[in-house]
Amino acid sequence: MTETAMTDATNATPNDAGNRRSVVYKRDKKTKASVIWADRFAGRAITIGGFGIIAAVFMIAVYLVYVAVPLLSNGQVTSARHYTLGTSGGDVMSTTLDEYQTMGVELLRNGRIMLFQASSGERFDGPTVDLKGETPTAFARTLKGDDIALGFPDGTVRIGQLLITPSVVPARTLPEGLRKLPGGDLTDGKSIITPVPGNQVRRLEPQLTLGDPVQVAPKDTPIRFLDYRVGGTSERPMQTFVTVDDKGTVRLSMSTSQVNMMTGETTTSVSSLEIPTQIAHEDIAAVLLNTSGDRTLVASRDGAMHRFDTRDPAHAHLAETTRVLPKGVTLTSLAYLNGENSLIVAGSDGSLSIWAAIDRKSTATTDGIVLTKIHDIANTGAPITEIAVSQRTRLFVAADEEGEVGLYHGTTARRILTLPKAAGIAAEPVETLILSPRDDGALAISKDGTVQLWSFNVPHPETTLQSLFGKVWYEGYPEPGYTWQSTAASDSFEPKLSLVPLIFGTIKGAFYSLLFAVPIALLAAIYTAEFMHFRIRAVVKPLMELMASLPSVVIGFVVALVLSPIVENWIAAVVIAFGVIPLTLIGSAFLWQLLPQPLALRLDGAPKLAAFFVALLAGLWITMHLGPVVEHLFFAGDFKAWTSGSGSAVPFLFLLMLPLAFLIVFGLGERLLGNGYRDALRRREYHVAGAMELVRWIVFTVVAFVVAGVIAMLLGKTGFDARGGIVDTYVQRNTLIAAFGIAFAVIPIIYSIAEDALGAVPEHLRSASLGCGATKWQTAAWVILPTAGSGIFSAIMIGLGRAVGETMIIVMATGNTPVTNWSLFSGLRALSANINVELPEAVKDSTLYRTLFLCGLVLFVMTFILNTLAEIVRQRFRKRAAQL
Amino acid sequence: MVDMVSGEMNMNSKVSGVSAINRHKGSDLAARGEPMVWAMGGSLAFGLMMILGFLALIFWNGLTAFWPKPIEVVTMTDGRVIAGEPVRTESYKPTSADLASIPAEARAKIEANAGMSERTLYRIGNFDFYSNDFEWLPFFTVKSSAHPKDLMLVERSEWGVFIGKVESILVDGKTVSNPSLAQLDAADEQARDLRRQRQTIERDKVGAVNSAINAERLKVRKAELAYGEGSPEAKAAADAAAVETTRLTGDFDRLSAEALAMRAKEEAIRVKVAEIGGQEKDFPLANFVRYYAANDVSLFQKIGIYLSRWWEFLSTEPREANTEGGVWPAIFGTLVMTVVMSVLVAPFGVVGALYLREYAKQGTLVSLVRICVNNLAGVPSIVYGVFGLGFFAYVLGGSIDRTFFPEYLPNPTFGTGGLLWASLTLALLTVPVVIVSTEEALAAVPRSMREGSLACGASKWQTIKWIVLPRAMPGIMTGLILAMARGAGEVAPLMIVGVVKLAPQLPVDGVFPFIHLERSFMHLGFHIYDVGFQSRNSEAGRSMVFVTALVLLVLVLALNTVSINVRNRLKRKFAGDKF
Repeated sequence: MTETAMTDATNATPNDAGNRRSVVYKRDKKTKASVIWADRFAGRAITIGGFGIIAAVFMIAVYLVYVAVPLLSNGQVTSARHYTLGTSGGDVMSTTLDEYQTMGVELLRNGRIMLFQASSGERFDGPTVDLKGETPTAFARTLKGDDIALGFPDGTVRIGQLLITPSVVPARTLPEGLRKLPGGDLTDGKSIITPVPGNQVRRLEPQLTLGDPVQVAPKDTPIRFLDYRVGGTSERPMQTFVTVDDKGTVRLSMSTSQVNMMTGETTTSVSSLEIPTQIAHEDIAAVLLNTSGDRTLVASRDGAMHRFDTRDPAHAHLAETTRVLPKGVTLTSLAYLNGENSLIVAGSDGSLSIWAAIDRKSTATTDGIVLTKIHDIANTGAPITEIAVSQRTRLFVAADEEGEVGLYHGTTARRILTLPKAAGIAAEPVETLILSPRDDGALAISKDGTVQLWSFNVPHPETTLQSLFGKVWYEGYPEPGYTWQSTAASDSFEPKLSLVPLIFGTIKGAFYSLLFAVPIALLAAIYTAEFMHFRIRAVVKPLMELMASLPSVVIGFVVALVLSPIVENWIAAVVIAFGVIPLTLIGSAFLWQLLPQPLALRLDGAPKLAAFFVALLAGLWITMHLGPVVEHLFFAGDFKAWTSGSGSAVPFLFLLMLPLAFLIVFGLGERLLGNGYRDALRRREYHVAGAMELVRWIVFTVVAFVVAGVIAMLLGKTGFDARGGIVDTYVQRNTLIAAFGIAFAVIPIIYSIAEDALGAVPEHLRSASLGCGATKWQTAAWVILPTAGSGIFSAIMIGLGRAVGETMIIVMATGNTPVTNWSLFSGLRALSANINVELPEAVKDSTLYRTLFLCGLVLFVMTFILNTLAEIVRQRFRKRAAQL
Repeated sequence: MVDMVSGEMNMNSKVSGVSAINRHKGSDLAARGEPMVWAMGGSLAFGLMMILGFLALIFWNGLTAFWPKPIEVVTMTDGRVIAGEPVRTESYKPTSADLASIPAEARAKIEANAGMSERTLYRIGNFDFYSNDFEWLPFFTVKSSAHPKDLMLVERSEWGVFIGKVESILVDGKTVSNPSLAQLDAADEQARDLRRQRQTIERDKVGAVNSAINAERLKVRKAELAYGEGSPEAKAAADAAAVETTRLTGDFDRLSAEALAMRAKEEAIRVKVAEIGGQEKDFPLANFVRYYAANDVSLFQKIGIYLSRWWEFLSTEPREANTEGGVWPAIFGTLVMTVVMSVLVAPFGVVGALYLREYAKQGTLVSLVRICVNNLAGVPSIVYGVFGLGFFAYVLGGSIDRTFFPEYLPNPTFGTGGLLWASLTLALLTVPVVIVSTEEALAAVPRSMREGSLACGASKWQTIKWIVLPRAMPGIMTGLILAMARGAGEVAPLMIVGVVKLAPQLPVDGVFPFIHLERSFMHLGFHIYDVGFQSRNSEAGRSMVFVTALVLLVLVLALNTVSINVRNRLKRKFAGDKF
């Protein structure tokens, strides 16, 4: 600075100097405009920028909420249309809608097919199939809706397909002269053609095929009820149908097709077997089959459900009879939900309930499976007469006697939407009802032939507050529970998205890691702050803080791949280490007291620190040698096998009871010995008193062991077992390992903040206490610690916050199993790890994606609360410390 | 009331009486709290042992991973012979079924040792022969072991390590049996040369032609989008592209043929090897990456091999599903990401702190905001990752794609995880750290200095620029470097917003616009996770993971150390400035 000034001065010409002087004399008092502008600009920029940055950071929470909220919305009806096609509802056997809701198809009783544009109701005729003059008496279709079966009065059944095949072709291949339909679609009379982006069109064409009649019932015995399923693979489909004829005979038929390699002809053979029933034919209300054909349900009008085990068709037998409706109520409708595990049962009292076949190993049924009611859906309207189920979720639409149609979700047991009926439509029952393939629309045809088409948008039917945070009874589960299972291989899988196991896992991981980290970090912090020479502290503290900067992925790797196999081999030693190491340390303390006082004082600094290490290593050595012995003596030589249930519960209870026994014995012991003992101690020489103390400690410890043993025996007698509680079957990547890893990340944080808090206690308090003759320990325990209490509390809170959010360690060191038990030896799945594992695979805006955002939000809220609490307490502490 | 007081006085007199009598002895052990002191000291010792043990583990394993080890030929009690590098020995607990099947003598020994036995892990390599490249040998299965000098250890570009003998080589149509090392070296050099040439063609030239063809396709799409499909402009573009594409395809075919010819030449140089059991295999010599007679190398050669392995590790790309080769892309990705993050976070953090400390009106609201900013430093990193994916990649990136890169759609350009979004996410994650430390540094600048400056007529901005900021620099730098250290070590959010296990291209290269912020990248931390947990055999990648962990640890610790040093130095520099 001075240098430049000098050069300036030397280079200055006289003229310059003159100018400068004049500036000094006539200096303009006004601030330069550039300075003002710079100042204003900077002020504005910083205000806007700073405000923006802080707002941006807060936007995180807002955005998480914004993404997660649609999970709880029911969705809405986007459009409702109605028109008539000139057919009577009674004539329509089946109807189909394509997945784009462009074309509807009606199959009429006379074998004709009617096509219509779904949006407008514009109709034209489609292909016809020859029913040979017969009028079908029964009709069935598979859940997917493509495969149909017709039953005839002459006791025959014809199976076939009715589907809409889409094909995408270039627009230029279209012929000229196509008729225009409303909304830009085109038609050639047989199909509907919709332009799609990329100069292409989508052509939708219905296809109807019907096989030859198969005589199932005796000649001229009409088929009354029919259900049809197609299983097997697409190359070798297995068509199964069940029929009930006019006499009440139930038959299970299987049709297998084989293609002749030489001629290309398909030969179909049908085999039918009678299922023995004792149900009067006039009582039968419905019959249901599942895709694999191993379960046939025959429901009577009065609500009795007969379940036949047809796994071996030759030995089909009644497995169970259950009433699914109360007495006096008749069955009005029955259907399988997607997946064919749950039944929807509708009764004449307006009730709507979901039943599932649950394997309860019951002896009351032949196969141990019991049909159980898992959900009751509140239905305020009239009795449900028609049900149509979704092909991909547990959604269904149901129409009641008065023609009111609602959209329901089975697992969450609720009506999601009421599909509004347009004014002027009569309260006629709905004859035919379908749900569109994409679950975004429903089509209903009433008796008078009115067609109603609703489009709706229900993106997340499976999530409600109850399903996310409460118990849900999923089909296949023996009872309601908290389940997280987001994906599976099968198509009919229902995602189970309960956040409870995840929140539980987070809390479990944080709890166990803090159980381990807090004592170590706090004790170490007190020692560092109060007992350590400041020069050693200057080395030790940064070293501990270094631990905080270790990347968690490295900790996770070491813990999971290096430590967990070692712990698995040495598990018994690890378990007893929690007792042996503290005992060794405290025992060493009593030994240390045997040293003559002058020597003890001289060794107080670094040598004592070294002695801690020696004691610790001695503890480790004892643990390693004692571990296998203990395992041999108390855990039948194999601790891991013990955790899975072999051997006696008592030894572990003994270990568990040790801390309690120590508390009791030392508490009572101090009382019993009382002041007399302390006076006696004081009267002795230092090392003699030390010896007395050592003896007392040894006696107390032995007594404590005995007490713990006795308590454990007594508890063992009552049948109490820690297994199933805090210990359970050992898995290699478990909570113990993860907790150690998280502790690794958390210890330095708690240590550092707690040490700062202790260091911030004003020096005069310390001096005063020491000056009054208190020892260092007394000062630390009764003066410093209470003063720094709130600071230490906030340290623990911040540590907890970090433990809750820890991700990589948990991902790597636990098996990520969403369990809800407190076992140390089983895994856990935390919110953070769950996000990390699942989010890369989640489709944007899907239910899983939003649920994971909700997980993030829950995590955000949890840590935010913890940190705010810590921050408030810390600020209060600062204010107090400043006042002292 | 009176009672209480008198009671207290009684007690006091009793206590003081007792202590008065015994004062000279003064050995009240309870007051010294020795057991508690030991519990505290022991905890500290435990903490220190954890960190030191951890560092020692990483450093030892990381530093020794590349050291060439001897090959041991072990003859087992059942007559089987294996050859392998001993990796490590550990004690374990044999299952009771194992125990039943072993010789009585060994069983007695194990029982004497409280049921613990010892075993050694051998890296036997030769995955193509054994379909297993590691084997545990319990001590009781070993009959004898030897170190024959003629065994070679070969690192290959396929199938991992080979351990065994080189039987013959085929060069220029001539077969040399039992080649000397010099002959092998010469042939290897030749094969390596051919391989290098072929790779130049395949990677650089063919790659360039490919991207040119793709660019032509995009041009057409762009014209279609701009002028409508079937418009004359689009047709013209399509015609132009067709011409160009034909030419490029010709180039492509020519280059492919050239590469193919080169490969044939390269594969004509062959080597025949035999493993210890005598099984033979014949493959191109170009597969050899490094080879040495493991039991016949001098210390200097060992050092040479060690250093060359380190060089390969630091400078090349990974192979064999990341379990071998180098981590250069990961190191580069980590560095680039950290730099981009710092560039983003520094101004944001400083501006935010300046606003909070210098411009905002201090009051309840600002202290509330301050608490919240403090808290945000404690919000789990994964939450930022979720936000980064949802908002940056999908919302921001999606709209960037629709506006600027419609011709690429439906393939996302910015609409998916990438370097920019990862850096931005980490910047957001570390902004609270920088704000907090900057604020503290600003608060530490004495008020008197500000007042002095203002009194001299400086404006607020001038005061901040010339007086406050320079004095606060140490704190700001510390915060920034700490933020970088945190960013470099963070993995969880990156796994969501753009880190991949194997990136085909580096985020910075010679193709315009040189820095490709939209590309996904590799990261050391994710590399550790991927190799350690997702690879076929975690044992095979284990040493690599240790070395990678060492590199990451050194990077993070170096940043931390630098931050502490910078803070100290700048503190000293400004120490005299305080009034």
